[in-house]
Amino acid sequence: MIRFIATRLALLVPILLAVSVVVFVMLRMGQGDPAMAYLRLSNIPPTDEALAVAREALGLNRPYVTQYLDWLGKALRGDFGISYVTKRPVLGELLYYLPATLYLAGVSLFFTLAGSLPLGIVAALKKDRLPDHVTRLFAYVGVSMPSFWLGFLLVYVFSVTLGWLPPMGRGGPAHVLMPAVSLALMSLCINIRLIRTSMLENMDHRFVLYARARGLSERTVVGGHVLRNSLIPVVTAVGMHLGELLGGAVVVESVFAWPGVGRFAVSAIFNRDYPVLQCFLLMMTAIFVTVNLAVDIVYAVIDPRIRIGAGEAG
Amino acid sequence: MAHMRARLARNVFGVLAALALLAVPAAVLAGPETLVYSWTSNVGELNPHLYSPNQMFAQAMVYDPLVRYGEGGAIKPALAEKWEISPDGKTYTFTLRQGVTFSDGTPCDAAAVKKNFDAILANAQKHKWLELVAQIEAAEAPDPRTFRLVLKNPYYPTLQELCLARPLRILAPSAFPDSGNTADGIKKPVGTGPWKLVETKKGEYDLFERNESYWGKKPAIQKILVKVITDPNTRAVAFETGEIDLIYNAGGHGTGQVSLETFAAMQKDGKAKTLVSGPQATRNLAINSDRGPTRDLAVRQAILHAANKAAMVKGIFLDIEKPAETLFSPTTPYCDLGLPPYAFDLDKARTLLDQAGWKPVPGGEFREKDGQELAVDLCFEGNDPMQKAVAETLQGDLRKAGIRLNLIGEEPDSFLARQKSGEFGMIFGDTWGAPYDPHSMVSSMRAPSHADYQAQVGLPMKAALDEKIAAVLVTVDEAKRREMYRDILTTLHEQAVYLPLTYTVGIVAHRDNLDGVHYGAIQSEIPFEDMVKK
Repeated sequence: MIRFIATRLALLVPILLAVSVVVFVMLRMGQGDPAMAYLRLSNIPPTDEALAVAREALGLNRPYVTQYLDWLGKALRGDFGISYVTKRPVLGELLYYLPATLYLAGVSLFFTLAGSLPLGIVAALKKDRLPDHVTRLFAYVGVSMPSFWLGFLLVYVFSVTLGWLPPMGRGGPAHVLMPAVSLALMSLCINIRLIRTSMLENMDHRFVLYARARGLSERTVVGGHVLRNSLIPVVTAVGMHLGELLGGAVVVESVFAWPGVGRFAVSAIFNRDYPVLQCFLLMMTAIFVTVNLAVDIVYAVIDPRIRIGAGEAG
Repeated sequence: MAHMRARLARNVFGVLAALALLAVPAAVLAGPETLVYSWTSNVGELNPHLYSPNQMFAQAMVYDPLVRYGEGGAIKPALAEKWEISPDGKTYTFTLRQGVTFSDGTPCDAAAVKKNFDAILANAQKHKWLELVAQIEAAEAPDPRTFRLVLKNPYYPTLQELCLARPLRILAPSAFPDSGNTADGIKKPVGTGPWKLVETKKGEYDLFERNESYWGKKPAIQKILVKVITDPNTRAVAFETGEIDLIYNAGGHGTGQVSLETFAAMQKDGKAKTLVSGPQATRNLAINSDRGPTRDLAVRQAILHAANKAAMVKGIFLDIEKPAETLFSPTTPYCDLGLPPYAFDLDKARTLLDQAGWKPVPGGEFREKDGQELAVDLCFEGNDPMQKAVAETLQGDLRKAGIRLNLIGEEPDSFLARQKSGEFGMIFGDTWGAPYDPHSMVSSMRAPSHADYQAQVGLPMKAALDEKIAAVLVTVDEAKRREMYRDILTTLHEQAVYLPLTYTVGIVAHRDNLDGVHYGAIQSEIPFEDMVKK
């Protein structure tokens, strides 16, 4: 088990290295010039002279290979460069905004699970009856609804019309409700369908039939046997959802003026702030890989049939 | 099932309790003494001598210039009480206001002003876009109340450029870095202006407090809270729900506080008070005199006559911006010339084209001359809905005159690259606005990297035009200067190298609880000090 974890963590290094090259190349292949963007932000007319000055100040007049190696050398020592826009160290900026995003994503994940479990179970137990139809319709609509649109609808109803919730910003628990719901809805709806399908599949298994034959109560059969087995794909899904939530935060944070790392990244995209984007994407890669590793470990814990490491030994 | 539900309820309760503990209490509660505004980013560390991420409106709140730009271009005293210009136009002697102190209590004297100018000149490279910096030969402080600027040439717009929000504003010597070079950063933002920056919470807000030792009229409001809101729709909602008190377009990064549509809706529903400023800058299309059919003066003139601006202003600019007939609005200094507008007149456009040999082709929609189709490339920023709408409307207008308009929408940087290279038939541009107009805009017409130069380079009198521009910037005689501007602007108008669209305006919306709101004389200065919160 420890060997497995160590191997997977060691793999993180080549993954990050590969990602850094891809990101570096893709940013520079795309249209747009950070020096031009900088001048635009500064209200300086983009004359050739002004551009040359800005390029030199941003270190963009050197060959790409030199730029990359210079960046890599510093990054290995934990220095990811200075933001072209805020003029502060990139890593510090991202770490400053990250907790707000993790908080938002955490609350959303909670909403996702707390909402999808009961709804998914009900839909499976009442298959093809009214509660199932209603839940499936809800899931269908929810998956199709873009998060920014839902965000504006919520704001319109609960802030503008009813005046119950603050429309923007960070503050008390009331502030996180609407952004978290907007962010969670899609994952929640995917999860409902996943749980429903998984439950229905497991209900057809023989162990369920035997359990019923042993005269166990319906509650024990569903709660103890079917549900427990149906949770395995849900654990996988949580890993994916965390990705969806962190990705979705990029949009939702802008709508709700939430001071998170997603909104910071959006500004960086608009302003061609390469150092910020490079570091942001590496950070996200590291988070994904780590979460997926955690999911694999949790697998082994909840399902004794899965034995991590056995495959590698054999 | 029942105990599962109970367990779930317990979990929900537990997590909500944890959330409540985690939640940060709203740090700043906006009371009646606080005006709440919003901007697309934090205001930066507020270094008066640097650019992005420092925001101009905030730099102007904290730092004072020597002189200020007033209504209609009148130059008003600020840190300088009065000034004298030598007969040769090369020496400006300023008498500084007595008893002015920085917000940290240190005195603002001629030595402090000189220290700032020296720091700016030491980084002249960063300020190359600003002609005045290149023109300064020396900054002198012969006595504590006298500051002197010696110029290389009699550059007449000196006072206008001293009014800018940056970089020629004055930082307290106590806030200079130990190196003395403000490009390395400053210790803290200390100025003589009406406000001081007291707190910055990254990604959330900046808080300003009234400078109690301000030399001018003391602001009625105690605090200005500037919330960070990136999305214009979010800003509109924040205004509607009372999270912010004021919407004010202040130029630069974050110009578009809300869309014109949102603003028009606010004007209509009447819940907020709205106001629209006078003309700021001119939206125009530069027409290339050196490329394709627009090399022909008659074609350029026909385009001007074929454009139905009135419909455009109504449909796209919602009558908030007004139609422009000349490159600079007549309210701009030296620009009230009574030039005859190119009226919307399709017949005239057709006649001009006929006379110039661009004839309709039987069965074809567009005119031709010597086998060449009358087609012009209009270049715009693809994701700018205003430019796209104007481009499409104009395409329809010109078709009626038999001119094909090819629309080329691109991302912003490619668009700017075309402005520089001249690869366009027509291209969007704005004049610079006060206090730059007309002199900076006219001056830049000589630089090949500007769309204006590229559009004009095919004119037979371009060389003479550039000479006149160089001369007007260093004229000492006011009457002569007026005459030279008339000459330059009349030539540009007659040669039809610009299709002026509208005069941009500043839009302001505020809640009923604010009094004294008006639009500043230059876009980047928000007159918070005149506002009163009830």
